[in-house]
Amino acid sequence: MTTTMDRNALPTVGISLQYTHTIGRAEFSGPGFRNPTAMARAEDDVMYVANRSYDYRPDGKRITMCTVGEEFISEFAKGVFEQGDGEAVATDGAIIWPTAITVGPNGNVYLADEYLDRISIYSAEGEYLTKWERPGDGDGQWNKPSGLVFGKDGVLYVVDSNNHRIQMLTADGEYIGEWGEFGTGQGQFNLPFGVETDSDGNVFVADWRNDRIQKFTADGKFLMEFGETGDGEGQLNRPTDVAVDRDGTIYVADWNNERLQIFHPDGSFAGMTYGEATISQWGVGKLEANPEMWEERKIAQGIDREKYFWGPIAVECDDEGRVFVVETARSRIQVFQKQDAVFYGVNERVSGGGGRL
Amino acid sequence: MPTNQEIAQMAHLMRRAGFGATYAELEERAANGYEATVEELLNPMTQPDLEMDVLERYFVDWKEMNALEVNQAYLTYRMINTKRPLQEKMALFWHGILCTGNSKCEHGRQIQLQLDMFRELGMGSFDGVLKGLSRDPAMVFYLDNCMSHKGAINENWGRELLELFSMGVGMDGEANYSEDDIKEAARAFTGWTITNAIPRYPYGRYESAFIYNPYDHDNEEKTFLGETGNLNGDDIVAIICRQQSAARFVSRHLYNFFVADEVQVPAWQNTPPRDPEAIALLEQTYFDSGYNLTAMLRVMFNSDFFKNATFEKVKSPTEVVIGTMRLVQDFTTPKLGLQPLANTIRYMGQDLMNPPTVEGWHTGAEWIDSGTLVERINFAADQVGNTALPGIRDIVSRLDSEKITSPDAIVDRCLELVGAYELAPETRDQLIAYTSSNGSVTPGTAEYSEAIAQTLQLIVSTQEYQFA
Repeated sequence: MTTTMDRNALPTVGISLQYTHTIGRAEFSGPGFRNPTAMARAEDDVMYVANRSYDYRPDGKRITMCTVGEEFISEFAKGVFEQGDGEAVATDGAIIWPTAITVGPNGNVYLADEYLDRISIYSAEGEYLTKWERPGDGDGQWNKPSGLVFGKDGVLYVVDSNNHRIQMLTADGEYIGEWGEFGTGQGQFNLPFGVETDSDGNVFVADWRNDRIQKFTADGKFLMEFGETGDGEGQLNRPTDVAVDRDGTIYVADWNNERLQIFHPDGSFAGMTYGEATISQWGVGKLEANPEMWEERKIAQGIDREKYFWGPIAVECDDEGRVFVVETARSRIQVFQKQDAVFYGVNERVSGGGGRL
Repeated sequence: MPTNQEIAQMAHLMRRAGFGATYAELEERAANGYEATVEELLNPMTQPDLEMDVLERYFVDWKEMNALEVNQAYLTYRMINTKRPLQEKMALFWHGILCTGNSKCEHGRQIQLQLDMFRELGMGSFDGVLKGLSRDPAMVFYLDNCMSHKGAINENWGRELLELFSMGVGMDGEANYSEDDIKEAARAFTGWTITNAIPRYPYGRYESAFIYNPYDHDNEEKTFLGETGNLNGDDIVAIICRQQSAARFVSRHLYNFFVADEVQVPAWQNTPPRDPEAIALLEQTYFDSGYNLTAMLRVMFNSDFFKNATFEKVKSPTEVVIGTMRLVQDFTTPKLGLQPLANTIRYMGQDLMNPPTVEGWHTGAEWIDSGTLVERINFAADQVGNTALPGIRDIVSRLDSEKITSPDAIVDRCLELVGAYELAPETRDQLIAYTSSNGSVTPGTAEYSEAIAQTLQLIVSTQEYQFA
């Protein structure tokens, strides 16, 4: 039997992610996370993870500083004392409902808090520096800020979710400009959530309740959109975050579909994953401290569920081709390595050059 | 324009078939008509559910609902904001009878899922409710049916199914079943079990699932309530539902929960119903409708015995807190403080999702003691005294626009706006005397708002406010 093949076809280069490991375990303090909502990457494999915790456990509200290799460094931004009935005492630097975290060009850490309508700023080591608390709908004010990212030229983009717009600030917090309003048209938003910029400075917004991603120029000119409501390939159900890697590949945290979707730079569907989590190093430590749970795991039924995303709320990628997916409901981060589409050849890979066997 | 009598009747219906309503809602519903409102309540799927995507965006821990406290916060929010109040009230009704508790539960979310089952099945047939319950993982674990095996039964589930969940120990002075019936029921449910749980660490719990293990099921002949065969759990439920005692059980519980306080459940074997004619009508409807709860509720809410039973029930803690919140219109959007609010229900004696025993809570006058009464009054007075809350602002605005200034008119109008409450004459006189002591107040001023708020605080501090 012979196989017929179209020798003139030009198959599109596929994009695939190889799962590498999982970071985290559910904790209210120390090594671990509790209902994390966002993360940011910094130099030397450092990462900052914003933990929202339960509202009745404000002790778990904090930023965890650790490495991609699960080395716990420190935690900061603690200090919320709930008083009930909508009132809370939060010391400067403390967080209540964190939504986004990013690292500025100067290495400082910026965190958006949608309960306090506040952006707090910390040094790279976690020392509280200052805050911008600006509730409202005027220039430089916000109502539930939910996304933060620095653009190519140092502009800070703030997703002003309940005002359905994107604002641009300097690194010092001065208002530069804005775009967007409530609606479903191009350049309009319905409770936008996460934001990202690509290497050209273009801005991508997760238009949460419109179930789409919109792409703009650095100053807010509409370029394209993709996604529609649904659970099929390329369809979205409340996308919470978007990331773009050095090749222009787009990653979307498809929150209510419990998956990560991958798109080509033109917005066409490229792939998806529902997660492949394994037990993290911190998780192993926890289980070794509670050995009976190793035994329980041996007889547990449906333990395969543990590998799937639950509440994938944020996605980040770094310059090493790694993709990080933050899961609110599982208090962990799954890490993937993007598979390069370029053929190197074994010898070139091994020897670092030459290309000839 | 509805009459005061029509408003009062609607307020009564909404307190019982729901958790109360603002005056504006009462006016709108009364204008639509009583029977039309009953039909809307009986068909909850015609109304929108909560927007869970938005809620889980802000309450991010609601995706997993791991802990009791998170589940209680969710349930509290749901009861305040649901557009399907009777569906939610029926879930609460079954939760208080077909009890499981967090004190013996592997995963807090599991009881929430049980409440979802009550929301889905609770207004259908009693047969469906019991089948759902016998397959509910929280119940299978709570009453040890997962520990009941072929040849080595655990009677816990079989016993409570008959005693507390479907028939009761007896009626009209007679026993409803024997010890042998309990054992035979337990045999029929062997093999009805749940999956082994995934432990808490490192990432958190997952819900268990109901599974049937045919190799652990007793396939021998059994005799239950006089019927013999190779019975399984569904056969037991079917036999139960055919019993007069099941009709009595459901009817009496519906009457006790929705119409008027009865004696406590353990006394039902030897204490006749408070209103035998009403119970007889409900029993007949039970059989005529194929054990259908919606049919029974329709007959009940449209009956004279229901319409005439105003303020014949002591409010449960849930009704005090949720009713007050619906009145003041707080927590209508996500914010902090839900768990402390849920805790107030606990402090008044009703730790939702965690009843004291499988018997649930004793109701009626037993809700009240010196401690819980103080909790009730302090809570309600704090809420209605807050003139910043939307519901209170609306009340003040109405009196303001109606230019009501005389103390007796202020008291009477406030009583209407809180939900057509009626006070004993001497109590009303005391409230008027207090309101008079404020002197003359002018609409549109801060003093006027304060005077209204104080009057509202006095109203919710009365004995009458403790009744629904």
